[in-house]
Amino acid sequence: MNKEERLIKRYKAEKRFQFYGKAAIFMALLFLVVFLTKIFSTGYTAFQKTWLVIPVNYNADLLYLDPDKKPTTEDINDADFYEFGIETFITLDPDASEDQIMELKKMFAFTFERELKYYLLDNPDSFGKTVDVKLTASDDLDQVFKGNYPRDIPENRRRASDYQLKIFDKLNEDGRVISEFNASFFTNADSREAELAGIASSFMGSLFSILVCLSIAFPVALLAAVYLEEFAPKNRFTDFIEVNINNLAAVPSIVFGLLGLGVLLAVFGLPRSTPLVGGITLSLMTLPTIIIAARASLKAVPPSIREAALAMGASKMQTTMHHTVPLALPGTLSGTIIGLAQALGETAPLILIGMVAFVNTIPGTPMDPAASLPVQIYIWAESAERGFVEKVSACIMVLLFFLIFMNLGAQLIRHKFEKKWN
Amino acid sequence: MNKIEAKNVDVYYGAKQALFDINMDIEANKVTALIGPSGCGKSTFLRCLNRMNDVIDICKVSGVVKINDYDINQKDTDVVRLREKVGMIFQKPNPFPKTIYENISYGPEIHGIAQSKSEMDNIVEESLRKAALWEEVKDRIHEPGTGLSGGQQQRLCIARTISIKPEVILMDEPCSALDPIATAQIEELIDELRKEHTIIIVTHSMSQAARVSQNTGFFHLGKLIEVGSTDKIFKNPTQQQTQDYITGRFG
Repeated sequence: MNKEERLIKRYKAEKRFQFYGKAAIFMALLFLVVFLTKIFSTGYTAFQKTWLVIPVNYNADLLYLDPDKKPTTEDINDADFYEFGIETFITLDPDASEDQIMELKKMFAFTFERELKYYLLDNPDSFGKTVDVKLTASDDLDQVFKGNYPRDIPENRRRASDYQLKIFDKLNEDGRVISEFNASFFTNADSREAELAGIASSFMGSLFSILVCLSIAFPVALLAAVYLEEFAPKNRFTDFIEVNINNLAAVPSIVFGLLGLGVLLAVFGLPRSTPLVGGITLSLMTLPTIIIAARASLKAVPPSIREAALAMGASKMQTTMHHTVPLALPGTLSGTIIGLAQALGETAPLILIGMVAFVNTIPGTPMDPAASLPVQIYIWAESAERGFVEKVSACIMVLLFFLIFMNLGAQLIRHKFEKKWN
Repeated sequence: MNKIEAKNVDVYYGAKQALFDINMDIEANKVTALIGPSGCGKSTFLRCLNRMNDVIDICKVSGVVKINDYDINQKDTDVVRLREKVGMIFQKPNPFPKTIYENISYGPEIHGIAQSKSEMDNIVEESLRKAALWEEVKDRIHEPGTGLSGGQQQRLCIARTISIKPEVILMDEPCSALDPIATAQIEELIDELRKEHTIIIVTHSMSQAARVSQNTGFFHLGKLIEVGSTDKIFKNPTQQQTQDYITGRFG
């Protein structure tokens, strides 16, 4: 082979190499696009909610109230809106049989009583009049309206009956079926009924867990890293610690969950299913990540800065606190955020400490039972109703948004506070 | 009068001995140059004078180093107070990644020298003036010190060091990263500083040693071969090795 041929071969090899690189990036992007497309196409409908607008006669007799007196708030609160609701539904089909009346009722979310009551409380003037009231449709009709339920399969394999569909189509023709932004998805806690289920409980649970995790993991990790990097003598013992911190970072998260279960719940008797226990468990997991990030950032501070401070007569601690740590902080913080983002997506340890419980209240403190976003995804993914499928994707979207937001924060901190030397 | 007296100083890096039985007296308010080929131990000796070798885990120093007749190698010597009296300039300019003002105010601040803001302002200005930097930076003392040129950064480091009025200033090849013009400025400055401080400078450049110093010590392979007035060392050395090094036969 002469020199010329060898040169051509080298150029070709380089071209091939670059092509492989581009192909790899293309593959990665393709996976991402497929993943996001699937999530968004399944999940975007969860942000819409179907309502049925029906005429409601707030008749005093139907509510067993005095027709001549304006009802007080207490009167309304005491009134029976269940029977009133049934009577109202019958007006949709006055010829309905007993069974059909039950089917009519099932066209609405079981919260119809509350919705009818609150409408009257908010609009006391409608007393004695017939007005249009917006009621949440059941998740079956919600799914039918969104086109997620095929209508052409036999009735016995469908959750919405022919009768319900007939009434629904009639309402739809009259323009009485409307679709609006699903605010309750963000303000409601979990529910067995898909049309009412929301992420408020799991969102707050995740937020509290992360805050607990941050307030424990960050100071402990920073102190450990500073001591190991700046003060500890370099000997076999510190080497041993370093190896074990790295090992800790590689321990499967479910093991930390077992630790939380066995120690925090069983020995210390902390309340189960709470973000407090979840946060402590996650902080054990995040600790090595932050220590490693902090040590790397401390190592990256040039020794000349330390020498400069020491030569000025600064003590070891002054050198560390005035110069080394502030310079290492941006890297440490972005490492912390990445560790927290990891903790945010963690499911297995939280399931073990009981954060998988069905929680239909919104937690006000880290001591209240709560779910978390990834666990909520897991709970909903296990549910049979079609209505939960889109919720799963929507919840994933919220989680992804949260993660992207945190990672952007990490990038921002790195760029803004990173100091350049020489 | 001798400012510093070193007696029987040995230094080990682990098992390797870096300095062998160094005995050297350093006169006050003079510039003493330490010369010798790379790895001869001159920087190591310099770092013995403010105990900067403490930073290196494997480094062991024995012998007596007396400054103002006080042995700094004692166990209970307060290195913070020692380094307040013995400042150091490094090979590569190493300003803090802070403003010019903060770079200089740092020393007086941690040692509690300035009582008020105006006093601190005076110290900053005086230090910058003495380091011949004031005129160049007076309009931007609140800008980052790392934004200055290499020579300016080194003068900033000198200003930082003299802000706490050390008695001795150690300089470890302070001009090796600088161009000839910046080098000339620093050399001029060294001559000026000698009025108030005792200066010990490690240098690779024999011409620099000849220009700035009054006394010179020649190191070779961890031993102090010869020490005396710069005139004598350069014109009439008693040792053959010194003669060979000065005339460029090795090193």
